[in-house]
Amino acid sequence: MSGINAILVKVGRSVGGVVGTLYQAGRETVDTTIRNIIPFMAFISFIIGLVLTTGIGDWIANGIKGLASSLVGLLIVSVVCAIPILSPLLGPGAVIAQIVGTLLGVEIGRGTIPAQYSLPALFAINPQVGCDFIPVGLALGEAEPETVEVGVPAVLFSRLITGPLSVVIAYFASFGLYSSN
Amino acid sequence: MKLMIGLETTVGDPTGAWGALADGAEYFISIFQEGGAVLLSLMGGILPTLIVLLTAVNALVRLIGPEKIENLGVKASQPGLQWYPVRYMVLPLLAVFFLTNPMAYTMGRFLPEKYKPAFYDSAVSYVHPITGIFPHANPGELFVYLGIAAGIQTLGYGLGDLALRYLLVGLVVIFIRGIVTELITARMMARKGAAA
Repeated sequence: MSGINAILVKVGRSVGGVVGTLYQAGRETVDTTIRNIIPFMAFISFIIGLVLTTGIGDWIANGIKGLASSLVGLLIVSVVCAIPILSPLLGPGAVIAQIVGTLLGVEIGRGTIPAQYSLPALFAINPQVGCDFIPVGLALGEAEPETVEVGVPAVLFSRLITGPLSVVIAYFASFGLYSSN
Repeated sequence: MKLMIGLETTVGDPTGAWGALADGAEYFISIFQEGGAVLLSLMGGILPTLIVLLTAVNALVRLIGPEKIENLGVKASQPGLQWYPVRYMVLPLLAVFFLTNPMAYTMGRFLPEKYKPAFYDSAVSYVHPITGIFPHANPGELFVYLGIAAGIQTLGYGLGDLALRYLLVGLVVIFIRGIVTELITARMMARKGAAA
């Protein structure tokens, strides 16, 4: 009798554990959705509405057509984003990258930018990722203050090399992506 | 709108200064109507999928237990060429997947000081490429990928190709970034040591 009891307790406990985990995961998800995802969707929707309705879209299209639909143009964008003084300013919350990404998405949808440039563009607009967060990120990794002192400029200068390089890699990796042949 | 067919019920548009104001008001509200339509398509389109996906992956991560990857962090701290791909590809990938942004950077604590900046660089550069397929890793910054992906969707193409290539090219990029930053860090540390 006590054996059966033990089994029942064990089964009940593990099922309860799994269900509890799933429920907790759902709660966490809804929490993030409401706090992080939906507010950004609202903000992005406003920008897209503004771009599509007003003449801003055409103005941006003229401005970025040359930049975003050639390898050289994308390289210029990536170098600008990777400049060590600019990159920490462009970084916070990836807000700039998300707005630029959305604007590029609108132009890709309108046909201003060829679809195969979507992949290199994803890297061109983002060499500054995390550049605002280096001291905090290193502190999370329990780095010594001396390491932070060296690490911040090391990462910033590294981006100047690897930013444009990532665009070139992505450019070659985008062959055959959304192209007719 | 004509309510009574057969009768002249058409209302003329307001003219003059008042008409211009009315046009302005309509134009003003049309901006937000367009934005509202976009918001509805986002909420009706990707949001439900996203919520279900996030729940499933969050549950999976909890069931597996993020502490499992700590052993890998210890292993990745060793010198030697064969540990480079582990340190700057596998470890950032698993850290970002299991610990998500920003807790992924805590994995750096298992590495020696000289590798920490490079690991941070590598891990932080992966928090966007991963969102194409695993959005749970960085739900607050989805629109780097989603913004561009929306354009591809407008054109009627599938997103799988782009998401997969973004994920894989991202891995190559963080590997190179880790190596380059490690080299620069080593050089700067040596110079600082010589100056002191």
